[in-house]
Amino acid sequence: MNSLVEFFSFSDPNIRYVVLGSVLLTASSAIVGTFTFLNKRSLIGDAIAHAVLPGICLGFIVAGTKNPLVLIIGAFITGWLSLVVVEYVTRKTRIKEDTAIGLVLSVFFGIGILMLTVIQKSGNASQSGLDHFLFGKAAALVGSDLYAFLIVASILLVVVYIMFKEFALLAFDKAYAKSIGYPVRTLELILTSLIVLAVVIGIQAVGVVLMAAILITPAAAARFWTDKIVVMVFLASAFGAFSGLSGAYISFVAPAMPTGPWIVIVISTIAFISFFLAPKRGVISRLIRQRNIHQTINNENVLKVMYQLGEENKNFFIPRHLDEIIRRRKYEKPTLHTILRRLLTYGYVEQTGSLWSLSEEGKNKAQRVVKIHRLWELYLTTYMKIAPDHVHEDAETIEHLLTPELEAELEKQLGYAKLDPHHTQIPYSN
Amino acid sequence: MAPESKVPALEVHDLTVAFDRKPVLWNIDLTIPQGKIVGIVGPNGAGKSTLIKAVMGILSLSSGYTRLFDQSINDVRHRISYVPQRESVDWDFPASVMDVVLMGRYSKIGLFKRPRKADRDAALDCLKKVGMEAFANRQISQLSGGQQQRTFLARALAQHADIYFMDEPFAGVDAATEKTIINLLRDMTNAGKTVIVVHHDLQSVKNYFDWVIMLNTRLVASGPTEETFTQENLHETYGGKLTLLADVADLIRRENYPQREKKL
Repeated sequence: MNSLVEFFSFSDPNIRYVVLGSVLLTASSAIVGTFTFLNKRSLIGDAIAHAVLPGICLGFIVAGTKNPLVLIIGAFITGWLSLVVVEYVTRKTRIKEDTAIGLVLSVFFGIGILMLTVIQKSGNASQSGLDHFLFGKAAALVGSDLYAFLIVASILLVVVYIMFKEFALLAFDKAYAKSIGYPVRTLELILTSLIVLAVVIGIQAVGVVLMAAILITPAAAARFWTDKIVVMVFLASAFGAFSGLSGAYISFVAPAMPTGPWIVIVISTIAFISFFLAPKRGVISRLIRQRNIHQTINNENVLKVMYQLGEENKNFFIPRHLDEIIRRRKYEKPTLHTILRRLLTYGYVEQTGSLWSLSEEGKNKAQRVVKIHRLWELYLTTYMKIAPDHVHEDAETIEHLLTPELEAELEKQLGYAKLDPHHTQIPYSN
Repeated sequence: MAPESKVPALEVHDLTVAFDRKPVLWNIDLTIPQGKIVGIVGPNGAGKSTLIKAVMGILSLSSGYTRLFDQSINDVRHRISYVPQRESVDWDFPASVMDVVLMGRYSKIGLFKRPRKADRDAALDCLKKVGMEAFANRQISQLSGGQQQRTFLARALAQHADIYFMDEPFAGVDAATEKTIINLLRDMTNAGKTVIVVHHDLQSVKNYFDWVIMLNTRLVASGPTEETFTQENLHETYGGKLTLLADVADLIRRENYPQREKKL
């Protein structure tokens, strides 16, 4: 508890640097990453992350010290160069973009590692800490780093704010953007520069290897929760910021724990949770929806059988034994029992001992299903000219699915026909 | 009619377009008068979409030039409007119907500015014209094929253009949408607009179009439907495959030949 108070009071300047630095770069990478994600170019971030390493080494060789500004400029140059190479290779050879990205990524990274090794062996004392760019070391952030971060993060935020509409259009429909005369090339260039910038500051916290995660994962997680692009950007940055904060806190409480990897673990957990729990798009909600559909189909089928039996006896409310229903439609006895019990709780059937009968509401519900089934069969035979012996299976699904509007339309189009293709009466409710 | 309308809506001169060096359109020459509904027909791979994209400057030309209202495309951008193929975008994109239709106002709004209230009014008005006003706030992933097409059409209408290029607006739409669209197109041409439509269904060509462009990597014919849409031209467009032409195109690509020799 004490550590929590100490951490969130931000009284220690080191904590301030680490927290502010981590939050700034995770949040701003997430915002830029949202557009990379929507452009379906998630891999590009990974390529840039690997390609900035030689630039950082070059920057160090030129400056002789770890001046953050020089390193950022170096990283920016080779990050950009890698993209130019990817585009050139894709356009001029028959190599596809994914292959080009793979090639460029490893070649640039290889050169970077080579330079890094040479620098480390050179005996220059100020080189220590350069390898932080490989795996990241947010805990080592200092005041001067923070200024660089602040500047870059503000650039990202301001540019995205100003060009939001343009970036969104580009991601949705590039050909249309060209047709209305938007400077598509320039806009793409700006967006790419933003990605490079985000990567360049991001790798100082999480390192080359994990950079793609903080660029793309927040956006991927946010997509599960919303269908509005503005909300998505805010959510992504909130997820990013939260992971940055948690990463910093965890490594504060347990100093042996590295910040960067924890940032990635937290953001991945958020993505994982979103994947399962998000309403509508989440896996669990999809499963529940499927289960509900399955139950509705079972419910309505049993009601339908009881209704058809009632039609034969000219009395819909005769109590029936399970076997009577099973003779009409195959069910395992326990399954049928479960369905009937569910229908009982809904009030669609009534139970007397081991006998079951339709309630008034159950009869009406069943009647609607039967009506739609027969109307659909009629529709298929009259309008689609499908043979009467082929239409039953189709109608079996449609009868559970049709909305009241479509039901009314169907009735109208068929002129409230009296008989279905098998010459059975179509039951209307009044 | 104003003398302005004597100027052809579209002129194409010796237009050749290549993908990855392989020519897909050869030496197209044609002129389209204003105020017509024009159908572009031809088999798959005939270059129908390529033609309209090239005219709008979305694709770069290997040779030739195009003029709209006797001006170069960049001077008349505000007068053209484009309906891309429905499948060309990802309909799972996080946007509402209103968001998409508002894009039709972007050229008027200008770069880096937000849509104003008036733009929303205009967008809603266009949604009404296509019978989609009830869907303004609907997420685009929830639309049916016909509704997607209507949304694209509303976006194009929101541009208030003089010439419309539409890539297969009738593909995969329901009968009601098809009727809505064709009625809208007729209203537009009655108001003097020109509409150029890439079309697949030969049955409806005579009913829908005043003018027809018949294409099979080269121009077979272009003219008023009555005179142009003949058995003979149809046979030439769809019948004999131009195998030699296709082989030469492949050869150019394989051998990395320049499409045109560089002029000194």
